[in-house]
Parts: sequence; structure tokens; C-alpha cells
Amino acid sequence: MEFAGTREETTLGPHFTDCISRDQETFRCWWSPGSLQNLSSPGALRVFYLKKDSPTSAWKECPEYIHENRECFFDANHTSVWIPYCVQLRGQNVTYFNEDDCFTVENIVRPDPPVSLNWTLLNISPSGLNYDVLVSWKPPPSADVGVGWMRIEYEIQYRERNATNWEALEKQPHTQQTIYGLQIGKEYEVHIRSRMQAFVKFGEFSDSIFIEVTEIPSKDYTVPLTLVLIFGVVGVLTVIMLIVISQQQRIMMILLPPVPAPKIKGIDSELLKKGKLEELNFILNGGGVDGLPAYATDFYQEEPWVEFIEVDEEDAEGGDKEDNYNSDTQRLLGLPHRNIEGFSAISHPDDDSGRASCYDTDLPEHDTQRLMASLLPGQPEDNETCLDAPASETGEKPLIQTQIGGPQTWVNTDLYAQVSNVMPSGGVVLSPGQQPKIQENTSGSERETQKGGKQNEDVEGIKEQKRNEPQFQLFVVVPEGGGYTAENNTQQTSTPPSTSVPGAGYQTIQPQPMETKPAATGDANESPYILPEPSQPQLFTPVADYTVVQELDTHRSLLLNPPPSQSPSLCQPQHPLKVPMPVGYVTPDLLGNLTP
Amino acid sequence: ALCSRLSSMRAASSCTNGQTGCHFLSLANLFDRVIQHSARMHGISNDLHSEFELYFLPSKNQIGRVSRNCHTSTILTPNGKENAQRIAREELTEVILKLLVAWREPLWHFHQNMAQHREFNNFSSNKSLEMSEMVHELRRGVQKVVEKMQMLGVINSSLGNLGSPEALLASDRAEWRLMNDYDLLYCFRRDSNKIQNYLKILKCRIIPEHGC
Repeated sequence: MEFAGTREETTLGPHFTDCISRDQETFRCWWSPGSLQNLSSPGALRVFYLKKDSPTSAWKECPEYIHENRECFFDANHTSVWIPYCVQLRGQNVTYFNEDDCFTVENIVRPDPPVSLNWTLLNISPSGLNYDVLVSWKPPPSADVGVGWMRIEYEIQYRERNATNWEALEKQPHTQQTIYGLQIGKEYEVHIRSRMQAFVKFGEFSDSIFIEVTEIPSKDYTVPLTLVLIFGVVGVLTVIMLIVISQQQRIMMILLPPVPAPKIKGIDSELLKKGKLEELNFILNGGGVDGLPAYATDFYQEEPWVEFIEVDEEDAEGGDKEDNYNSDTQRLLGLPHRNIEGFSAISHPDDDSGRASCYDTDLPEHDTQRLMASLLPGQPEDNETCLDAPASETGEKPLIQTQIGGPQTWVNTDLYAQVSNVMPSGGVVLSPGQQPKIQENTSGSERETQKGGKQNEDVEGIKEQKRNEPQFQLFVVVPEGGGYTAENNTQQTSTPPSTSVPGAGYQTIQPQPMETKPAATGDANESPYILPEPSQPQLFTPVADYTVVQELDTHRSLLLNPPPSQSPSLCQPQHPLKVPMPVGYVTPDLLGNLTP
Repeated sequence: ALCSRLSSMRAASSCTNGQTGCHFLSLANLFDRVIQHSARMHGISNDLHSEFELYFLPSKNQIGRVSRNCHTSTILTPNGKENAQRIAREELTEVILKLLVAWREPLWHFHQNMAQHREFNNFSSNKSLEMSEMVHELRRGVQKVVEKMQMLGVINSSLGNLGSPEALLASDRAEWRLMNDYDLLYCFRRDSNKIQNYLKILKCRIIPEHGC
């Protein structure tokens, strides 16, 4: 119950400030004289009350005054529950009464706070950061709960030490409650208050208690645990080390398997280690079971790491072991006296040794038309120049300068054969200068071979020629620029191989196409770039293995031999410099022409 | 929780019919259930009274404005702890039953009014219905307690007439029809508190060792 007098303080007459019952058996009322100080003296104001328990009730004076508190105390004899009371103040001649000062006792009950508030730790969270606390207390002694006269419910509030807001838990009638989720290390303040069940007014708060749980020294648990872990790890490592050391060899074998060293068939690597050169030479010279070319030993007897090309023994016809040169070169070059399949038979072992990767061994031998561009340095310049006119990427008939010869041509090969090209099938092309008999062969006609046999539109006519003369030696230009074709072919090889069919491996050795081809190869012409060779099957003059650059013609092609005046060339070469150059030298002027 | 209490009340009432299979609850348990029931009833009446004050009568203290006494004022009730402890158990039990009987019809009509007015929300309407039902159930429960007590010889058997038609007629004086809604709620709030108190005191007087 609130008294109206509390609303205004300025011109306020005597009024009651509050009436409170603590135990529902007695109650007290306090009054204030207000702003009229002359009534503040004791006895100036008197308290009267009306107890409406019957229609004939009358106002009675306060049964007990406590003047120092300005308090009127109603004891149990004068207190009746569930009966309306009204109180008023009376001065000398004035009665100060307000209708709001009526109440019933059960509605003004504010129980005392509980007593004996204490707490116990329930548990700590696994993370070690939070804990739960059980708070317990006893009901206020003034409230007769035991008889059942008062049914009290409690409310706990808590907060951190320096916080301003209290956290309130749910009201409940039991004398204990759990606070969850307190944090370790923080200090909490807890207090409690009580009120009648299903009523509104709370009593005062109890005195605060403080809860704090500091870090639990968990070293008792963690120290042995860490020690155990450390010792365990050390022990495991020791065991592993022992195993590794004892089984070192085995482990090395498993982890790092030895790399197989290149081995020569039939040659014991021990021989190489021990340096028994005589035995080695014997073996390498074919004295043993191996059929190694004899000349190779001169080069490689001190370099055992060199891997030799394994030549299958079956391929050597006649097994001319004693004739090492023949058999060796024959094997290197393939067996031309055999049929065309022999070309592919070169690579019988097919171990891909010594062969460029771009070669396609799957080509059908017969049907493939290959563009052949011979890297023959000794080609007459008329052939070269004549290629200028028809020189074009598209529709150009590549000429194939082939050296066709029988197997007998191989007999006269020198000890060292200049390998011009390596065939896609693995055959090796030698320079034509070594086979003077090649010229006889009419199969020097132009032939076109296209890699993959796909771009045959332009060379159909030539194909037939090719087919008619299966015996030919295919000169395949090293695609990646052989050593001696550096100057000529670097530019050419750079662009055309990129555009040509992979594995085509054909290059123009003619410097002439240097200008034209780069311009033309950018097109969609996927045909292997065509050597603008002379359309005429020229009989090649035998040339030396190494030829010097004699001249440069107008197209900056390197003329290795001055054009013979009697050559039936359609085109007249035009030389920018008609001064015969000294053989073997390239003047700076020419050099300047060489460089693009 | 209320349903459990109601079912327990029904179970207690059905036991008197002598059905097989129902077990007899101890007197203390009966008292506990009845006391819980009365506490809940008082809580609802308090809520309804506060709501009514909030909606219709914003001024704070209405005690002085209670125009009439409650219709149950004629029932002599102990107004203090000592008085409640001094009177006989039978008297106390009789007071409880009288109060419960007196409020059955007024609450029923009050609920009817609430449902019609539609000024209260459904929450209040449900509460008024619950309240009227509670009074009825509580009376039956207290009667079971009385029968149990009489069976155990705790109290005299002279209280059997409370369920008689004379008692009902005596209480049904229709004075409650003159009360307005607010007075009715105020009076019932007070009386439900009395009932709760008296039951608790009665239990602690008869069976003090169980939860007093």
C-alpha cells in the first residue's frame, strides 16, 4: 500500500509513510509530520485506526506508540488478517485522513530476509572456466513457516563484484538454489529476499555474501600427465631408433631403392669398375656375344655410362659380324635391301634409344606419305632457287630428295657416316655424298610424303611415284635443328614444327623458305612445311660431308656449291654476288647477308 | 501439474466407490495435494484481480472503496494465527468447506459473464473458467480429506452434514449477485488466501512431521 502523501513533498501535511507487517501477525505504521514542523514534536499527532470487522466499528487510537521512530505498532492482539484497516492522523483539531490509507494485513506483509546464507561448490566445467554453486539458507525466523502460517518464496540475486546490475534468479519456495555458470577467478556478490507466495511485496534484501573460486591448482593432474607423455614419447623414439639402426640395410633398400644403372648387355659392370680394358675392348668389339659396333669402342670405352643402341641380332642379315662396318652401319641405317618394311624394322628393338621422341612409329609403312626434306648440304642451288617460284606453303609440292639405292650402296660407306636425319620409323638417313650410286636410281623423282598421310591433296600425283618406288631412302631432317644446320634451320625449325603435325619432323633446310615460310606457316596450313625443292628430281652430285658456304644468293640462301652452269635448271639463279668466293670462308659481307 | 492434481482428486473420489485396484493414499499426501491445489487457486485469483485492476480500475488502492462486505463475511473465520490454532479441527475444517461451497456458484456465473463480455482476452477467460472449476475440485478434495480423517479417527464424525442440502442452501443466499465483478474478485482473492492458510495450518496441526 502506498500512501498518497509520498507524491508531493512541498506542501505536505502529516501523512503515513508506510505500514508493514513482517510476520502477518503484527504490523507497524510510520508517519511523518510533513512540512509543518510545528507538529513534529511527540504527541502532536495521534494515530487512530479503524478496523472494519463489523459495521459498528469505531476509530481507536494506536495501541502502542514508538515516538522516536514515529511509529505505531500493532501487536498480535490488535492485528487481524483479512480484515480491512484504516489509519489516520489527528492533530489538535485537524484530522488528516486519506482513503488510500486502508489496507488488509496480508497485503502489507513483507517477510524478513532469510538467514544463514551460504554456498557450496557443486562442480566445475570441463573447460575449467565455469562452475556451479549451490546456495542455501534458512527462512526468516520471524516468519512462522513451520506452522504453515506463511508460505514464502525466495528470490536470489547475484552480480559480479564491481557490476551495477543484479542478475535475478527465478523465485521459488525452497530454501536452496543453484547458480549456474559462474566464472572462475571472478568474485560474485549474492543476496536474497523473500515474499509471500502469490503476493507482490518483497521484503528487504539480506546481507550479501561473496563467492569466489580461484584457479584450481590442477598441476597435480597435469604435471604427472606431462611427464608421462614426455617419457612415453622418448621411449617410443628410442625404440624406433633401435629398429632403424638394426635394420638399416633393409630400410635403406625399402626407402631408397637403388637406381638401376645402365647396363650393357653382356658386359659385367665389374669389368668397368676394375678397369680391365682389354677384356672390355674384346667384348665391346664384338668378340663376345654382343654385337656392338667396333668403332664405338674407340669413343666410349672410357665412358661406361654411355648407353649403346641395342641392335637386335636378328636384323643383321647374314650375321656379318666380322664385317662390322657393314653390319653396324646397316643396322644403324636399317636394311634397305629388304622391303619397305625394313624401314620400320630398323627399330626392331624398339627401345626408343637414340630416337627422337617426335617420331611416330605407328605409321603404316606403305601408305604413309612422308614429306621428306633432305638436309643435304650439297644440294645444287638451282634446286634451291627453283623452289622459290613454287614456294608456298599451300599446295606446294614438297620435293623429296631421296637417295635411292640398293643395299649395295651401303657397302661403300665410310667408317663414319654423317647422319643426316633420323626417320620417324627409326631409320637413319645418311648424307648422300656417300652413295654415289644413288643417282642412278630413278626414284630420285620427287616424292612427297606427308606425315600422317593427311595432307595429301597437293601431292597426290607424287604419291604414286612414291609408291612405285618403294626403295628410297628417306631423308628426314632432324626436327630440332641438327648441329650443322643451326644457321639454316633455326628459324625454320622454330616456326614450322610448331605448325606441322607433331612428329612430322620435317624441316626445310633451304634457307629460301626462311622468309616465306614464317609468313606462311602462320596460316592454317597444317601440312608439314614444304621444302620448296626443285621439282625436278635432281641427281645429286656427291658432296662431301661437310661443305662450306660458298655464296649467298638473292634470297639469302646459303649456296654450298656454286651452281653448275650446265645444270638444267629452270630458274636462273641470281646471285647478288657473282664474285666467286674463296672456298671455305665466309666473308663478312656474306655474313651480313646471313643474318636475317 | 493441475491436471495431475485433478486426476489425483478424481482418483481419490473414485476410491470411495470401492473400486478394485485403487490404492489408498496416506493422509499426508492427500493434504499435500489439497494444499497445492489451493495455492494454485489463490495464484489464479490474484492474477485475475490484478488484471481486473489494471484494465478497469487504474487507481491503486481500492480497499477503501469496497462498498459491500463479501457475501462470505457472515462466515466466522479465524483472523489470526493464534485464533486459527486455537479453534477445533472440526471447526477449521468446517470453515474451509463452507468457504468452498459458498464460492462455487458465484465463480461460475462470473465466468459466464467474462465469456460474454469479451472485454477480457482469452487468457483471462480461461483463468476464470479454471478458477471456477478449481473451487469445485478443491471442495471435493477437502471432502475426501475429511472422510479420511474421520476414518482415521482424527476428527469427529459430526461433520458429515456439510455436503447435505441444508448447507448448500444456507450458503446460496444470492447475496453474491449484488456484488460487482471487482468486488467479487477481491473477495475471492481474500477467501482463497484464507483457504490456503487454513489448510496448511490444519495439516500442520494434525500431521506436523511431514513438511511443516
